[in-house]
Amino acid sequence: MSRLADIPISSELIERARGGEEAAQAAIYGSLGPAVFALIRRLVANRAVAEDLFQDTMIVLFQRLADFRGEAPLGAWLRQIAVTRCLMYLRSPWHRARLQWDMDEDAPLSTTVLPVTPATPADAVDVERAMASLTPVGRAVVWLFEVEGYSHEEIARLFGRSVSFSKSQLARALVRLRQTLAPQEEEACTTI
Amino acid sequence: MHNDLVEKLIARRLRALSDETQDHAPYGWAEFQRRRDTGAVATRPAGRIRPAAFAIAAAAAVLVAGIAIATLSHYRASMLAPIGTVAGGHGGHDNTPPATPDPLARQRTRALEGWLADLPHDPAVVRVGEHAAVSRLQDQIAALDDLMSAERAAGAQPSRLDPLERQRTQLVSSLAQVRYAEMLASATL
Repeated sequence: MSRLADIPISSELIERARGGEEAAQAAIYGSLGPAVFALIRRLVANRAVAEDLFQDTMIVLFQRLADFRGEAPLGAWLRQIAVTRCLMYLRSPWHRARLQWDMDEDAPLSTTVLPVTPATPADAVDVERAMASLTPVGRAVVWLFEVEGYSHEEIARLFGRSVSFSKSQLARALVRLRQTLAPQEEEACTTI
Repeated sequence: MHNDLVEKLIARRLRALSDETQDHAPYGWAEFQRRRDTGAVATRPAGRIRPAAFAIAAAAAVLVAGIAIATLSHYRASMLAPIGTVAGGHGGHDNTPPATPDPLARQRTRALEGWLADLPHDPAVVRVGEHAAVSRLQDQIAALDDLMSAERAAGAQPSRLDPLERQRTQLVSSLAQVRYAEMLASATL
């Protein structure tokens, strides 16, 4: 499960933010903002676009907070907003057109490395590189399925495609990840 | 079976990655508020703003092309027709005597010319099609001005000058529409 959905936000804080209290809104921003941005960066490699999507997501959060019914954690609700916005971007004709012009940034098999801090272990860097070798859609499907826990039906709905689209994207992406990470995983398998 | 195991390991590593990666919001609460308050056309995702801008720009381009074609065809027809038969702007098929130009129309033309004169020489974004249409209209107005000056110098009667003046009014009006569409398209990008 993603950290975003697990971050506890008290209903009292949500109520105060709903009432327009700035300190409460700032506290929610401080708690959820980093995880929201991390998720968006996983789905959209371009940092400038990710920042725009982040801003948009947080604006929507505060605009629609009155509609939040508290049936799920606030983080899970916000995750849905962020994911929907990212996939809208990935599905947009503008983005697809941009891929044609800007192959070095988001294209498949690129060498773009997703956010890695100096403290990131070497093993994580390998996974980052492997993820960066995927297509933007493949990367999003893998992340949503394997890390965020979305079902194929949910992913298909988000992309406006069939379930088999989600399954085939995942299968192709996993094959690619397996190829990239194969030597390490083979080693890990023999030690299990 | 082996593949399943490898995939499980990959999934585990991805989930670990989610926890290991240091997260930061791209900016703090104050910056978020500043960006929100400054509004945000500039901060909106390109994927959403661009199609709307393109649609408006495309509509403006269609409008410009339509006006240019209509004006050009009218201008050609009026040039081919004998002077005095283009009243009403319908290609010289109207045989009724030309009416004297409306003083209100003259005032409107002057106002439009004033507005056009105040515009920057070129828009912020120059598009080839629009620029060509503007140049063509400006050339046609200049040609008409020359023709009217020559007619006046030759002591032409109002019956010869009035159709030219009406034609000029239409061209100025078309030019104003094209420049307005151009401004609108530039403002949305």
